[in-house]
Amino acid sequence: MGFEVIAKPKGGNIDRMAEKVFYESINLLGGLKKLIEYRNLTWLPSLAEAAYVIVLKNEAMKTYGEIARELGITEQTARSIATADEEEVKRYLEGELEDRPREHIAGGIAKLAYRKLKEEGKFETEEVEIKHDELEVLDVDWAVHVLARIKGLDFPANRDALLERLKGLIIKGRNIEEILEKINYPVKTPAQLLHEIKTHLNFF
Amino acid sequence: MYKYYELRELEGRAPKLFGIPTGTRLDELFYRVEREGERYVKKPLGGIPHLAVMNITGVPDTGKSLLAEQFAITQAGNGYRVLYVTVESPAHFLYTAIKDRSEAMGIDFSKVESNVVVIDASESDELRENPKALMETMNYAIREKKVTNTIIDSITGLYEHKEMMARQIVRQFFNFMKKNRQTGIFVSQKRSAQASESAEAAGGLAVAHIVDGTIVLDKKLIESRWDVNLYGLPLGSVLRTIRIDGCRIAPHDSRVWVFEITEIGTIELIAPLSEYIRRGGKGVEAGR
Repeated sequence: MGFEVIAKPKGGNIDRMAEKVFYESINLLGGLKKLIEYRNLTWLPSLAEAAYVIVLKNEAMKTYGEIARELGITEQTARSIATADEEEVKRYLEGELEDRPREHIAGGIAKLAYRKLKEEGKFETEEVEIKHDELEVLDVDWAVHVLARIKGLDFPANRDALLERLKGLIIKGRNIEEILEKINYPVKTPAQLLHEIKTHLNFF
Repeated sequence: MYKYYELRELEGRAPKLFGIPTGTRLDELFYRVEREGERYVKKPLGGIPHLAVMNITGVPDTGKSLLAEQFAITQAGNGYRVLYVTVESPAHFLYTAIKDRSEAMGIDFSKVESNVVVIDASESDELRENPKALMETMNYAIREKKVTNTIIDSITGLYEHKEMMARQIVRQFFNFMKKNRQTGIFVSQKRSAQASESAEAAGGLAVAHIVDGTIVLDKKLIESRWDVNLYGLPLGSVLRTIRIDGCRIAPHDSRVWVFEITEIGTIELIAPLSEYIRRGGKGVEAGR
């Protein structure tokens, strides 16, 4: 064929974009060390999920139904994340509000991060990173990697299906194979998978 | 972050108004008005307006893709780079269609094929369902291949099963075309429930309000004695019509025109419908 045919995308990778939003969300919160100081590491799976929702909604133009199916969350959760009032969340994080707002906190943070990346033109070009040594020590970006690998997997999922997607992954120095031996099956949603992994990491 | 302009600041940025030929008589239907002495005269643009994003819409089998392909062949044959995003038909089918038609139109196919870049979204879920991925890929093609004309056939295929997202998706692609200074054609499918004369005919829920202009293709089956007498066509034949349904960039003929799809698959405009009826349908092959 004489035409030049391009059949594969040259960018717009959802996983990569979600990672950028995730990392920028952590940066907005003062970096990982601050999260540890305030014992807020439990936010990370929610932040990863919110980063995906924001990217799928704003960049991939997915409906709430599609996002819910893809991430294994409810449509209402997807909607709450995507419509969170990021300014209200910002005021809460800065200590201006006494009471926790009704907004989805992780959703608001991910929206702030997404907006910042877009406004600064970093979303299209630059890599967004958090400090490498922090990542190396803490291995906290595992939630993003888990979500990226299980994209499109049907839930509920059994051990074999999860193992096929996740094999080789090391989380906080533990092989995923070892972790998957200890969690409860069937895993009903990606959110439950993250929760199970997090719970069992604490036992090691 | 917010910008505003005084009107005179925009003078240097305003695009020149000239036509980009489609290879059909449609080119004569867009015009500009120039002052000559005391009077104003209409001068044909010779094509769709430069940097316009035009929507071609119609029910199935009205010639939308043929018109888009004819535009691509004409531009590529003239030495301009064309990006053809095929969402419906796989690239190898497009290749055959464009090759056959180029030869029938007497245009050097080697020139056409060297100037057309195709993004095949028909066989890639990621390209079809992730607008960001498609725009990044289009951006690559436009930048690397120095493309000036872009066709998306069809834009409707990018929001199948989720028409509630249509406005956002079309707006993103429209903005993309403007940012990248493309003269463009979006092919969109008209739903059969919408009357051809209605506003919805111009591309359903979203497209017509966002793009610079719309060209509506339609067909009428000759099915009664009344039709036979009115159009001068035999029973069972098809009358094809084309109409420019608004263009915000250039003035245009707004009449319904009769056209035919020739045996070699090209679009040939015959006459305005009123004139066509007046002369009893002359010039149209029986059976079409």
